[in-house]
Amino acid sequence: MSQFALFGNPNTGKTSLFNNLTGSYEYVGNWSGVTVEKKVGKLRNQNGLLIDLPGVYSLNPLSRDEEVVTEFLLTEEFEKILNIVDASQLKRNLQLTIQLIEFGKSLLVGLNMIDVAKTRGMRIDEKKLENLLGVSIVPIIARSGKGCDLLSKELIANPKKEMQTPVFHVDYGFLEKAIEQIITILPNDSNLNRRWMAVQFLEGNKRVKTYLDQHFAHTDKLDQMKRETEEELVKLGLAPSIRQYIYNVRDQKVTSILDQVTTVTSLNKTTATEFIDRIVTNKFLGLPIFLAFMYVMFMLTFDWLGTPLADLLDAFFSGPLSEGLAKGLAAIGASSFIKDLVLDGIVAGVGGVLVFVPQIFIMFFFISFLEDSGYMARVAMVMDRIMESIGLNGKAFIPMIIGFGCNVPGVMAARTIEQPKERLLTILLTPLMSCSARLPVYALFVGAFFVKYQALVVLSLYVLGIVVAMIVARVFSFLLLKGEKSVFVIELPPYRVPQALTLWRSTWEKGKGFIRKAGTFIFGGSVFIWLLTYAGPHGLNVKMDDSFLAMIGGVLAPIFQPLGFGTWQAGASLLTGFLAKEVVVATMNIIYQVPNAVSLQGVLSTHYSALSALSFMAFVLLYVPCLATVATIRKETASKKWTYISIIYALIIAYIISILIYQIGGLFF
Amino acid sequence: MNLTDLKQGTKAIVSDISKINDLVQQRLIDMGLVEGVEVCLKRTMPFGGPVMVEVCGQCLSLRRREASCIGVR
Ligand SMILES: Nc1nc2c(ncn2[C@@H]2O[C@H](COP(=O)(O)OP(=O)(O)OP(=O)(O)O)[C@@H](O)[C@H]2O)c(=O)[nH]1
Ligand SMILES: [Mg+2]
Repeated sequence: MSQFALFGNPNTGKTSLFNNLTGSYEYVGNWSGVTVEKKVGKLRNQNGLLIDLPGVYSLNPLSRDEEVVTEFLLTEEFEKILNIVDASQLKRNLQLTIQLIEFGKSLLVGLNMIDVAKTRGMRIDEKKLENLLGVSIVPIIARSGKGCDLLSKELIANPKKEMQTPVFHVDYGFLEKAIEQIITILPNDSNLNRRWMAVQFLEGNKRVKTYLDQHFAHTDKLDQMKRETEEELVKLGLAPSIRQYIYNVRDQKVTSILDQVTTVTSLNKTTATEFIDRIVTNKFLGLPIFLAFMYVMFMLTFDWLGTPLADLLDAFFSGPLSEGLAKGLAAIGASSFIKDLVLDGIVAGVGGVLVFVPQIFIMFFFISFLEDSGYMARVAMVMDRIMESIGLNGKAFIPMIIGFGCNVPGVMAARTIEQPKERLLTILLTPLMSCSARLPVYALFVGAFFVKYQALVVLSLYVLGIVVAMIVARVFSFLLLKGEKSVFVIELPPYRVPQALTLWRSTWEKGKGFIRKAGTFIFGGSVFIWLLTYAGPHGLNVKMDDSFLAMIGGVLAPIFQPLGFGTWQAGASLLTGFLAKEVVVATMNIIYQVPNAVSLQGVLSTHYSALSALSFMAFVLLYVPCLATVATIRKETASKKWTYISIIYALIIAYIISILIYQIGGLFF
Repeated sequence: MNLTDLKQGTKAIVSDISKINDLVQQRLIDMGLVEGVEVCLKRTMPFGGPVMVEVCGQCLSLRRREASCIGVR
């Protein structure tokens, strides 16, 4: 099947188009670096595969996500490049288009965001642009789907057509001599365009350099040529470096093209973005506004809206649903084993977690809003000063915010951080961010012990996660980041009012993961745990305290004694919580054999004090990344050592913090 | 004069970006902040935090340390 690959600057709408043409729901957001890995999807008309890639400014990769793109270009087979350009930022976008045309594969340009260009008073004559660039251009609005049909038709039309005689050619003037020389040295055996390789090499493309080192013996000669050319260039006063010279040549070309194809009718400034920025990035208000946003999010999730909804759902599960199931099972004459398994195991376990779905969706809604509005990049800027003081940069805050939803995409998002050690550090810290899976645990405990201050207690747990992360970052960066300077450059996109549909979709896509986990991990876990409570050394249907689970949990109990929760029940639920942190709640529902969250809270108040509840919540927050996160850390760091470190340091910290809470708190209460 | 010497809201032409470290320099070139273009210093964050500048109709943010290596006239 033919494969088409999406290339373009960050935040130009590649993934929006990908979703539109393939019917998938990949991650879309209004900042640079949303997509960090290659995604493949089938075109709706079944005529090929579309490949979504991270956004890049140029083909010389600086960060891990950008490497994916150049790697793809150099090593993978595909038919056609689909280059998405932002019509409102043509000057910058065409820099990349030139590099892609020079690559020599057939290419189609999707001229996106023409709605934005129009509101800024820009008109683009795309027929003329088509002629000047010598490639087909289709104007689209990826967000609404306008023009996307035409684009997909154009995409699959004569896919084999190679660009025989490219219309478009950039003359690099002074560099042409060096380019010619390099072309003659390069071997003819690879199917990559040699002129493209020569230009990329001179520009300082690291990946192309490694490619040449691998496939070609005389790279020192090339290096020498490059050095001499650069020296001469500087001596002649043409530019301070080859890279900038090449940029200037392309820029002149782009400018002359744009002069011919664009007409600017009215120069109305983007006043809305500027107005909002004046407030949210204000010197004094910037940080308070972000904190206020978080506060409203917590109040809505835990107080104003989420809790009443969760209570309704809880009443439904424990009332009509359980009764209905019990009747149904009785009617079909199910054995008491099956009845207990379904009602005490599955309904208690899975239902006990599902009741928190409303709260989780409210949280995800806010995170999606943050992602799609354009505020995310501003948060990174506002936080940069604080992040700098702990040896990281503002960009590392983005994976952390994403981590509030789920740690797995958070760890992935660290790919956009340029410096390798900073990225590693961000990966290690992200699991300390309190993800939505921990939320059921908090909701359960604050409901039992801190009814009046629910939102406040939970908020303080989130803050605890952040504070611990910062301290850990300080320590690690002291040990780890010696000699590596942290850098911070980020693009601030214009604000966009998130579309209701997009917002709902991205909320749903995140929430779906939670529900799916309820159907798989938590379901399986519940059955397994229930069986462990059902069976014991002395046979089946034993008393809970004589079950296998009590034995296993009992081994751990003494370890947790100093933390305030030295019961086998706590030990067992923490052990199972490694699978996924919601399982802690599922296990408790099963162990304490209660029909719903309200009565579980009643039972808990006899086993825990407010203080030990707090210590327990802090422990659940910090103790180990869940299984899925550990697997992602392993993949992203490609190191067993760092994976183990991420687990062990979290355990140690959790233990220390909980012991401090319980012991010091015990002096006062 | 360098970029951080500008008063908030004023514009100038970039004259030199060669003193910045290589990584940041490439990023800036990518985003169109090169010698000869017009920049506007929009805002500076408190406590020595990053600055926000506008180039070619688009905003970006970089650290004050790096901004102070950008010569303008
Ligand atoms: N107004 C308008 N907004 C658009 C259009 N296409 C995409 N967007 C918005 O632009 C933002 C970026 O979209 P994405 O699809 O995530 O962009 P991307 O190119 O995949 O971004 P990266 O993965 O970061 O490289 C989102 O907020 C979209 O809603 C369009 O045609 N018009
Ligand atoms: Mg994308």
